[in-house]
Amino acid sequence: MKRKHNSRLLAGFALVSLFALLGFVVPFFSPEDPRVWNTVPRNLPASAAHLLGTTSLGQDTFWFLTWAIRNSLIIGLITAVLATVIGLVVGLTAGFRGGTIDRVLTLLMDSFIVIPSLPILILLASLMKGRASIILVAGVLVIFNWPWPARQARASALSLRERDFVHTAWFSGESPLKITMRELLPFISSWALGNLINTVLVAVATEGALAVIGVSNQAQATLGTMIFWAMQHQALLAERWLWIGSPVVAIMLLFIGLFLTQTGLSQYSATKRGR
Amino acid sequence: MKAKRFNQFLTALAVIMILSMLLSACTPATKTNPESDPTAPKQEQSTGKARMTEQGTPRNETLIVDALDGRITNPKQFNPYIPGTAYSEGFHQVCMANLYEIDGTKGDMIPIIAAKPAEALNADFTKWKITLRSGLAWSDGQEFSAEDVAWTLTMLSTNKDLPAYGFWNPLIKSAKATDKVTVEIEMNKPYPRIETLVGDQIFDSPFHVLAKHIWSKENPATFAAATPTCIGPYKLKDVDANGMWTLWEKRADWQKAAYGASMGEPKPKYILFKFYGPEEKRVLAGAAHDLDVFMDITPDSWDVLRKKNEYAKAWFDQFPYANMDDPCERGISFNTSKAPFDKLEVRWALALATDIQSVSMATFGGKMRFSPIQVPPLSGLQPLYHFALEDWLKNLQLADGYKPFDGEHSAKLVKSLAGEKGLPTDPKAQKELFGVGWWKHDPNQAAKLLQSVGFKKGSDGKWLTPDGKPWKITINAPANFEVQSGRLAFAVADSWKKFGIDATAQAMEGGPFWTAEGNGDFEAGSYWPGCGVQPDVYNQVQGWHKKYVVPTGQTAPGNRQRYKSDRISNLIDQLSPLKPTDPKIVPLVNELNKAFVEEMPWIPMFGTSKFVPTDTYYWTGFPNSKDPYFGPWWWWSNFPFILHKLQPTGKM
Amino acid sequence: MRFLVFLGSRILTFLMVVWIGITTAFFVPRFAPSNPVEAVLARLDSQKSFQPEQIQAMRESLMELFGLKGTLLQQYGSFLKRVLVSGDFGPSLTVYPTPVSTLVARALPWSLGLLFCSTIIAWVLGNSIGLIAGYWKDRTISRILEGTAILLYPIPYYILALALIILFAYVFPIFPFSFSAQGQPFEWAFIKSVIRGSFLPALSMVTVGLGWWVISMKALASNIMEEEYVYFARLKGVSDGGIMRGYVLRNALLPQVTMLALQLGGMFSGALLTEYLFGYPGVGTLIAQAVLGSDYNMILGTISFSIIAVAGATLIIDLAYPFLDPRIRYR
Repeated sequence: MKRKHNSRLLAGFALVSLFALLGFVVPFFSPEDPRVWNTVPRNLPASAAHLLGTTSLGQDTFWFLTWAIRNSLIIGLITAVLATVIGLVVGLTAGFRGGTIDRVLTLLMDSFIVIPSLPILILLASLMKGRASIILVAGVLVIFNWPWPARQARASALSLRERDFVHTAWFSGESPLKITMRELLPFISSWALGNLINTVLVAVATEGALAVIGVSNQAQATLGTMIFWAMQHQALLAERWLWIGSPVVAIMLLFIGLFLTQTGLSQYSATKRGR
Repeated sequence: MKAKRFNQFLTALAVIMILSMLLSACTPATKTNPESDPTAPKQEQSTGKARMTEQGTPRNETLIVDALDGRITNPKQFNPYIPGTAYSEGFHQVCMANLYEIDGTKGDMIPIIAAKPAEALNADFTKWKITLRSGLAWSDGQEFSAEDVAWTLTMLSTNKDLPAYGFWNPLIKSAKATDKVTVEIEMNKPYPRIETLVGDQIFDSPFHVLAKHIWSKENPATFAAATPTCIGPYKLKDVDANGMWTLWEKRADWQKAAYGASMGEPKPKYILFKFYGPEEKRVLAGAAHDLDVFMDITPDSWDVLRKKNEYAKAWFDQFPYANMDDPCERGISFNTSKAPFDKLEVRWALALATDIQSVSMATFGGKMRFSPIQVPPLSGLQPLYHFALEDWLKNLQLADGYKPFDGEHSAKLVKSLAGEKGLPTDPKAQKELFGVGWWKHDPNQAAKLLQSVGFKKGSDGKWLTPDGKPWKITINAPANFEVQSGRLAFAVADSWKKFGIDATAQAMEGGPFWTAEGNGDFEAGSYWPGCGVQPDVYNQVQGWHKKYVVPTGQTAPGNRQRYKSDRISNLIDQLSPLKPTDPKIVPLVNELNKAFVEEMPWIPMFGTSKFVPTDTYYWTGFPNSKDPYFGPWWWWSNFPFILHKLQPTGKM
Repeated sequence: MRFLVFLGSRILTFLMVVWIGITTAFFVPRFAPSNPVEAVLARLDSQKSFQPEQIQAMRESLMELFGLKGTLLQQYGSFLKRVLVSGDFGPSLTVYPTPVSTLVARALPWSLGLLFCSTIIAWVLGNSIGLIAGYWKDRTISRILEGTAILLYPIPYYILALALIILFAYVFPIFPFSFSAQGQPFEWAFIKSVIRGSFLPALSMVTVGLGWWVISMKALASNIMEEEYVYFARLKGVSDGGIMRGYVLRNALLPQVTMLALQLGGMFSGALLTEYLFGYPGVGTLIAQAVLGSDYNMILGTISFSIIAVAGATLIIDLAYPFLDPRIRYR
């Protein structure tokens, strides 16, 4: 039994570490800024000098990919952590407290869900004038992503609120904050972790979509802009699989790694709890 | 128990999925598609049964044209004078027609609805007489006469609800039909270029004749005209309710239609303008012989298409493939009222800091023509302007005696493209193909120029402005249209970055892109303020007059670069009263060219290269480099120039 | 009684959210740096066939025509009056003078049809698969199902859709390249062409949507499987199906239904990428066009529906919570 859990967790952990390595350690060794065009001959196949070949813009695919992974990870992590934390706090508070606080917070949540993102994104794009730093892009993504975990947290809180252990805690005089943290959080944690991981993915994917509108900085290297430039140069139809494939595979593997880690962790903690 | 339940579930799922796929796949297809290896060119069909389009017309009698305007929001609107009417899905190409049309290759105005050139009735060009062809009829059978022209002109200048009223009212004093084929127009001020007013010079004319017998009964400011009355050789057969395609059918009385009367019978019985969506789908459609005429595609898409479809042809059979005679040229323009772009030295420095060879490779893989002057390097204009000035350019000196021109750029480009077949080896031919030359890539001279106006290089190698701040430039770039200018902006930003300027390109959608230019809310942008198609470039260059300059923040009617030059404005004023055929025009324009070079208000870089290929599987006879009877501007109103030259191949 | 109070305040929240949303949709585009007149003129000017004076003259008349004179508050007031009294969003500014309602009425049924079907199918399929995967979470089948979901889910939609087109419209030409409805509405030919044309876009949306439902449902289900009451039910001898339905599903349903409701509300914004890639005549393209062309009237006309739908969905969900989970009580 233990074997199986460990292998899942191990696999996930290995993948995530690989990405952390690729994203945060390897880029320091890149020979020059891989975003600069025409530093190497275009459209070369994979070789010892160019592990993943070169792009139609004259960049080394492998080094560009490492920079892209780093920036996408940064965006994804910042967005996911901030959005989930904000969402959890707001949602749990709303669900548990109820009453006016619930009403006001729900109003806030719903307004954000309901307000259309496209016009605001275009407005932001023109204000930022193509100099959006990675942090700014993450910030924009947080604004549009926090209501979802908040709403679901609230729903779970509403349902858990009535459970016996909560009533016990309430009647025994624990403060609402403590109840939220101590009693409710463990139940939500595995789901919340799942949501966090999903938000990382949503953040990375949305960043790619924004790259096309111009909110993300097309001069930056992210997995989204890498796909954007590859599509711009018809990499899919021209069968330049390394250029278009590597960011897609990277996104998939990144997600799988995070996912396995998360489920591996929850299984591990489940074993610990004796199931 | 568990296993059985589970298996049942899986089986049910599988059955549902297979069933639904079978259901859709088994519906009789409206066209028979041969199954084949996707990487090889499609095989000819030998089924014997004629392939039909989805619209129900025989494929080999239908010309399928790419839809430039995308999906039409309101497909039941054919009023040319209200916004939102789609022009390029056949409406202005095969249904409407102009009094005069430009012949792009020779630069002449050809009479289409008119029968001969306009005649001035007085010396100061305020009274004109236009003689129309006789025997023309509208698509509903009604006779076409000078009454229609006169009525339309009068309506345009008197109907206050039309957006264009503000333009026509001050221009037209009166228009009347003196007989069935003669119109006399009186203008409120001298107007020597009447033919470009009622005719087309680039893309289309602002004037479209309306059928008086239909339109006089409606309010032209609101009438949607769901079924257009056409003077051109085609009439509307069907339109997709969702705006994805428009089908036109040749008029039975095509001899009484514009173009048909003067050029002969257009060959395709049907013309279908269809929107396939993203470029990938257009390429796939072309590979499957579902698209005959393409609008703009990227060179990468062209590479894919020509490998997948051996019948696909571009302008040239080999490198550089693209047609380079589009009437606008590309480069980087500035808001010259903003520091530091108000300084001549800065603009020249940026030109010299640009490594134009690598910009050319990065933008379109070298498939572009260099242009150092503000007139586009069209085949018809290069002899008059670019080559005529070649010696002057070679001897041009900047303030310190430095000679910036490099006439060897085309030779260098050809050398770096050593792998491509069919490139010219003769230096003159190289210049004709790739341009007369451009400025030297000289970072040292650029540095000198910058330092002479107070710029300094920081310790990290990056440039600092005279007030000591790091020099940042943002270049506006079009996001999903005009790919050449979009990529150019990034390539130039890249080049300037290597020089030490913190330059970046910002891709913007159409609305914000143009508004920024109009308001002056930009510092640099890959806009294209240099156009021309005839030797008389007055219409295109007059926007540079200093009278149009308004402060940044206000929308500029012209001169969006906000460049005040007495020398240039003076020359424009001298051009204004001349007839288009006046021999004084070419030398005057060359004086303008010299002024633009010396003052460098914007940096022209390349002519526009258009990859607008055609599929010769069902239709042949398209214009190309070997038979350049027409420029491949499929989205212009003079599209019918090709229709009588096309031949069906007869393939099923 | 308490419920009525709750109902009242909840409806009040709904109205307030809608009002905030519509007001935002009114003001934000007007603060964007482009306006509809400039957008129209820019399109005309980029064709280079107009002189500066023409453009200038047209600017004046267009501003009149589009009703953009007067202060913002005045425009807002007249807008509110017009919409509340006659439900008229005015003429579209990019396709002047076609009324916005005509365009929206034409496009909305397509979006609703496609999105409703694909969302429901993805939801039902995804949750069923996730339920099975969560129930038998230690079995190989669970890992296969979960593995497939996590492979499909992260693929960027644009690429997945293109791959489907290349595979099923080009390599194996089973489906048409672009959506094209033939014949008059509700003849058999029409229905057939609609199904044939919608299959690929629906497939792409279901594939992408499926992943999330499978993964989330599996996570929920496997958590619930560890609850004591499930253990107890097993001991009691309740069948697998019974446990799945009565114990696991019911407890997992709440967050899943919440998401479903929100997604259904989102149907009214269309699916821009799907419509663009497959040539589907939905409302997403209208919205994008409106935003890019600063077509104030169309923005409001399209987005208002979306706002009301999403807010309405959350309202319905909130009201339905106690029916879904009897443990919820309102204070």
